[in-house]
Amino acid sequence: MATARPGWSRRAQYGLFFSFIAVIAGIVVGLILLTLSLVAPETFQRVRGVALDVTSPITGGLSEVAATAEGLFSGAGNYWDAASQNAELKRERQAMLRRMVEAKAIFQENRQLKATLELREHARTTVAVGRVVGSSFNSPRRFAILSAGSSDGVKVGMPVRSPDGLIGRIIDAGSIASRVLLVSDRANIVPARLLRNGIPVIAQGRGDGTIDVRPLEVGRNPFKRGDIIITSGTGGLYPPLVPIGRVVKLDDDGAVALPLADPANTSFAIVEPAFEPTAVAADAATAATDKP
Amino acid sequence: MVRAALTPTRRIGQAPSRYATLVPAITVVAAALLAALPIISMTGWYPDFGYLVFIGWRLLRADPWPAWWAAPLGFVNDLFTGYPLGFSVALWSATMLALDLIDRRTMWRDYRTEWVLAAVLIAIDQWLQWRIAKLVDAAPPLSQMAPPLVISICVFPLFAWLISRIDAWRLGR
Repeated sequence: MATARPGWSRRAQYGLFFSFIAVIAGIVVGLILLTLSLVAPETFQRVRGVALDVTSPITGGLSEVAATAEGLFSGAGNYWDAASQNAELKRERQAMLRRMVEAKAIFQENRQLKATLELREHARTTVAVGRVVGSSFNSPRRFAILSAGSSDGVKVGMPVRSPDGLIGRIIDAGSIASRVLLVSDRANIVPARLLRNGIPVIAQGRGDGTIDVRPLEVGRNPFKRGDIIITSGTGGLYPPLVPIGRVVKLDDDGAVALPLADPANTSFAIVEPAFEPTAVAADAATAATDKP
Repeated sequence: MVRAALTPTRRIGQAPSRYATLVPAITVVAAALLAALPIISMTGWYPDFGYLVFIGWRLLRADPWPAWWAAPLGFVNDLFTGYPLGFSVALWSATMLALDLIDRRTMWRDYRTEWVLAAVLIAIDQWLQWRIAKLVDAAPPLSQMAPPLVISICVFPLFAWLISRIDAWRLGR
């Protein structure tokens, strides 16, 4: 295709011409696909799911190897200085036991209070448990690959958390792997509140592994360094009281927080059903009718 | 000395690989598959491996694959990397077209011009990714795109060298 003038041969001239047409067709098809995948992302869910399943044995297998190698090194590191570590752990354990007794008392009191208020308790169910095995490391978006898919019951839109905090929500589901939109992605906006005083805030990713938090009411900056941000359960997608991040830096009308659940260090991630599916469905319906 | 110079470096029976015409496309798919590596990064500073290898081949040779292969190769890259489907299809086809037009204009090329050309193409790739993220309100500030751009440009010569080795191997040189 590169030859400027293929000579007098008609055949060569036509070949050149048709290869130009083919490339232009490629561009047009690409633009159509791109528009479709931006306007109606659900169009390609099946294809994306299949691609996730194809790569998941590679990702899963290699992450197994990496985890083993890392385990060997950190395991050897733990033997180093074991005696002082042991003493420190014992001290920590004592402190934890005291805190646990306190927590149990609070838990009981809480249950009694809830019973008097007759609050309907939401049963927390787990859909699937997987590991975070990969990420979108060459893109400005923040996605992670989870080693659980629709064969485990995972569906698009379900929230994902780890024992430490919120990870994100499912956006593509293959049958054995799925893609998670992390809380640190710009497109992920989580209704949240401050653990300290319950002030409602909005958490939005910043695309570089951190989260931007802003108060809903404009005015005084309610954040302090070290504040914990938790989900509020508003909107019905994410369950309430899941820790999201810890404030590390203040800016003029909000703050920057670090996610508490670091996808690189979480041993496993839990997929939960949408907190209140009816609310999410209603939201989606209104969004669909709003769109012309 | 003379005898050494006369000794042929080629081994007898050494010929182009049987799949010589497929090797470039296969390496592009393999590079796209690098996105499946279990790297969990929170910054996204790794290069777009598929595109680096793609332009590496195209800058080395005018016809590593029939021009229309750019579209399916881009589709494979989109699937494995999680870019919006169609992004690499359009960009890679447009790259083939642009480089053909540039090939008609340029009188000579050397290593530095190729690197500059590659740098421009990589910058376009990164900027378009940022632009498309902006369309869905997910774009970081543009300054955050600088580190991956610099990394990709610095890494390109390594890929170009690897590709030239693979090219020599597939042609049995």
